[in-house]
Amino acid sequence: MDRIRALLRPAGDRNLNRLHRRQALVSVFMRHIQLIKITLFCLGYLWMLALPSPRLGRGTYIDENALGPGQVNTRWNWGDVANADRYLEQLEGLRDSNATSEQHAKAIMTEFTKLGIPASTQNYVFTSSTGKLEGTNAYAVLSSPRTSGTEAMVISASRISRVGEGDGTPNLRGVATVLALANFLKRYSLWAKDIVFVVSDNYVDGMQAWLNAYHGEAQSNLQAEELELASGVIWTALNIDYPGHSFSHLGIFHEGINGRLPNQDLLNSFHHISRWTGGVPVLVYDHLESHQSHIPSWIPRSLHQEIRQYNYRSKNVFRHIGYQARGRGSGVHGLFHQFRIDAFTMFGVPANGPHGFHSIGRVVESTLRTTNNLLERLHASFFFYILTTPERFLKIGSFLPSAVLISVAMMFGGLKLWSDSAWIPAATVQLEKEGDGEGSKWIQRSRPVIPVLGMMLSTHILGGILYSVLTTSWFSNNQTVASALLFLPVATLPLCALLVPSQDTRIVAPVSQLLKALNLCFASTVISITTVANFSLAMSLAILLGIPLSISSPSQSLPLRVIKYAAYIGLGLGWIFAGEELRKALWDWEILRVWFAPFVCAVYTPLVLQAGLVCLLPV
Amino acid sequence: MLVSLPHLLLFLFSWTWGTLAATPSHEEVVGNFFSKNGTPGSTSNHTNNWAVLVCSSRYWFNYRHMANALGMYRTVKRLGIPDSNIILMLADDAACNARNSFPGSVYANPGRGLDLYGDNIEVDYRGYEVTVENFIRVLTGRMEPSVPRSKRLLSDAHSNIFVYMTGHGGNEFLKFQDNEEISAFDIADAFEQMYQKKRYNEILFMIDTCQANTMYSKFYSPNILATGSAEIDQNSYSYENDPDLGVSVIDRFTHYVLEYMERINKTSHESMADLFAYYDPAKIHSNPGVRSDLFHRPLSEVRITDFLGGVAHAEVDTNTNARTEMDGAWAWERLGGARVKAPRVPAEDPDVAKDTPKARQWRDARAWGGVLLVGALVGWVGWRK
Repeated sequence: MDRIRALLRPAGDRNLNRLHRRQALVSVFMRHIQLIKITLFCLGYLWMLALPSPRLGRGTYIDENALGPGQVNTRWNWGDVANADRYLEQLEGLRDSNATSEQHAKAIMTEFTKLGIPASTQNYVFTSSTGKLEGTNAYAVLSSPRTSGTEAMVISASRISRVGEGDGTPNLRGVATVLALANFLKRYSLWAKDIVFVVSDNYVDGMQAWLNAYHGEAQSNLQAEELELASGVIWTALNIDYPGHSFSHLGIFHEGINGRLPNQDLLNSFHHISRWTGGVPVLVYDHLESHQSHIPSWIPRSLHQEIRQYNYRSKNVFRHIGYQARGRGSGVHGLFHQFRIDAFTMFGVPANGPHGFHSIGRVVESTLRTTNNLLERLHASFFFYILTTPERFLKIGSFLPSAVLISVAMMFGGLKLWSDSAWIPAATVQLEKEGDGEGSKWIQRSRPVIPVLGMMLSTHILGGILYSVLTTSWFSNNQTVASALLFLPVATLPLCALLVPSQDTRIVAPVSQLLKALNLCFASTVISITTVANFSLAMSLAILLGIPLSISSPSQSLPLRVIKYAAYIGLGLGWIFAGEELRKALWDWEILRVWFAPFVCAVYTPLVLQAGLVCLLPV
Repeated sequence: MLVSLPHLLLFLFSWTWGTLAATPSHEEVVGNFFSKNGTPGSTSNHTNNWAVLVCSSRYWFNYRHMANALGMYRTVKRLGIPDSNIILMLADDAACNARNSFPGSVYANPGRGLDLYGDNIEVDYRGYEVTVENFIRVLTGRMEPSVPRSKRLLSDAHSNIFVYMTGHGGNEFLKFQDNEEISAFDIADAFEQMYQKKRYNEILFMIDTCQANTMYSKFYSPNILATGSAEIDQNSYSYENDPDLGVSVIDRFTHYVLEYMERINKTSHESMADLFAYYDPAKIHSNPGVRSDLFHRPLSEVRITDFLGGVAHAEVDTNTNARTEMDGAWAWERLGGARVKAPRVPAEDPDVAKDTPKARQWRDARAWGGVLLVGALVGWVGWRK
């Protein structure tokens, strides 16, 4: 007992003891820093790999009391289905006669007006580096019969389906559903919110114009007519995408632009309603779970189920990260999130059956009854999550640490380098005067930060210039040639670093070491901050930057330096040759204000260029 | 001088009447008569009934709580408590809610057989008036002078009060409209104040909420019988959902209590013990509780109509002391609710007057005097003829 007490409270000065203890702890930490770093990296990457595991995550549930999903009898019947069919015939007629956007919008507006619902159209023009983008939206506002109409719900369908991310497949049945729903919903008197029907032109740009006009947002490259009809604050929006003849499942598409997600309560309510009221199975995206995937026979049979589940979930997680990291919405609903409107797209996965207008009408009716019950915006449940299946999800706590661990490992690496660069072992320095005691083993040297920061700043400026050239119409008109022309100067300019003279490392810390230290610290900070705003982007950065930035190092031989540099250029600037992807990212930025393209130009590429510079600089 | 026969008879009659009247006073006879309430079998000696019905929730999805309170309202009204003796506190945003597919109606059954909102509803505290403060003011009677009588609990020492509460609650608290909570201590202290101010004879406290039984655990005033829907750490569940309304319409505990009450009428002799025996935890999905340690009558002798019925009895006030005490209480109230320690009343009924020997002698003397006077008068009249 006394021994334990002595261990816990050693004799002597308490403060001195505390300092000793702290010193001992720090020195243990510093001695094993390499091991700690590697452990953190391994943990982080393994965690990322484990995200799709069926053992992680938990079942979805509905948190908001007011929703009460699936508790109502639906009244959508075969008569309404017949109405939808009639609307569909008209829309097919318009399509076959190659009607213009305006004719389409006018026809849809007329149908709304025939139902006695105030309706209007809105023309808009986007000007971008790729040229002009014109269209006409049609919309109608069904006023709440018994309230003041300060709140609204939106039911929308874009004229072009999300099939192939808007490859031009018309969303005829989606639009017909909206029209038939308008006909049906106006017969109810229990709507506590206005219902706004929007048939937006094209795939996503129509809705962007409509939403901007609705909220009075100005966008410099958009000329949109003001809306003639107004309603209240929009709380929820359901976007209907029904491109095929029939559908087998309803898929949930929920990612918004810039990585925003709708409140999970909305998706869970929809899932519950679709499953139990509509009898339609629900998918995340359009991924069908296959039970027959091939698994090598040498794997024990008991693991097959888990591997299949892992396989299926990893597809969903990948797709999610693909949308979220690029900041690209997975459909028209994605535009609503920027105005704090919870929205998602229900996508009728094309199939030969068994579901059609009858199912989708009932599901939408019941979902509207649920959102109609809301007394305030959706706020319970989750805004940060990854849906691995329609019934299971990962909470922020179970995925966020993976990227943070890697960011921490990078930060440790950077700080270690920074503190190391201030000292040099005395043994390697021939000094005329011998020191005394242990203190003489290390000699302090200066760390010139300003030139290093200047170097970092210039890479970011270079990124900025790169970005401004990318958004010119010259680039978009001659993309393939321009890519090469742009690549060459950006890739060769940093080679100037080869001309930096080497300094006496006994007095001044080498620039390459300082640059690497600051580069790692900066990259780590960027990743940590991004994790909360857009986890998928942070995770992608952690994968792309984590190890590459940590292993950059200068070398003696010139060819080796150039080869290393070339590898970094490939990593940091290779995307310039991804023609279609680049074009989409730029279009997203110009039309929808998706921050991905500027972020890559001004943050990601410069960070990698800095690592390349580390390799070029003298030892 | 002959005394005529009729006069003699009259004399004899008056004499016997006087002596008979002298032994048990006729006030006592009447008092005994009323203390038995006129209805044989009941042991209560209250003279008026009050009900305080509180629905502490608001919002559409809490429809069932409003239906709970309205169901109780209908029952106590049917059993004879008039609107003037019912304080109904209700958020009242269900019947005229824009989401109600049957506007102006509140139903407690999925079949929508009975419209609880009807055409004769008197909500005393509505919407944002349903607060903890107002509830406690109603119980304790500490009101602004401007508050109308219809919003006051004008009970006295002979009142049996039925207090029903429903809403969302937890361990020792009940939420009022997502805004504030009342704790079990608050209600216990309010009841104690009522007791000290002689605002009740007996209280039946009934509550339907999650962990309801914790709400009466802090009571310490006598003559309170309490019952709740669920034990600590238990939820109280809704009974059924109406698919046309899209919400649950009533809670289980209240549903089964009301179901039982439908068998009761004003003349029913069913006791509280019968009601408590009717509780079925398997049906209610939680364990209802009863607290009777503060209550001094055996539950099998306590009629349900003692609390939920409006049995009107006359009060026989024989004791001048009682009157002054009551006047004192009234004056105290008019002082504006200053905290004066009211004199504690003995637990037994204060109204049965205790005769002192001196008073009895005086009464006897008076009776004999009366007989003599009447006899003399009659004799004198007969003599003059």
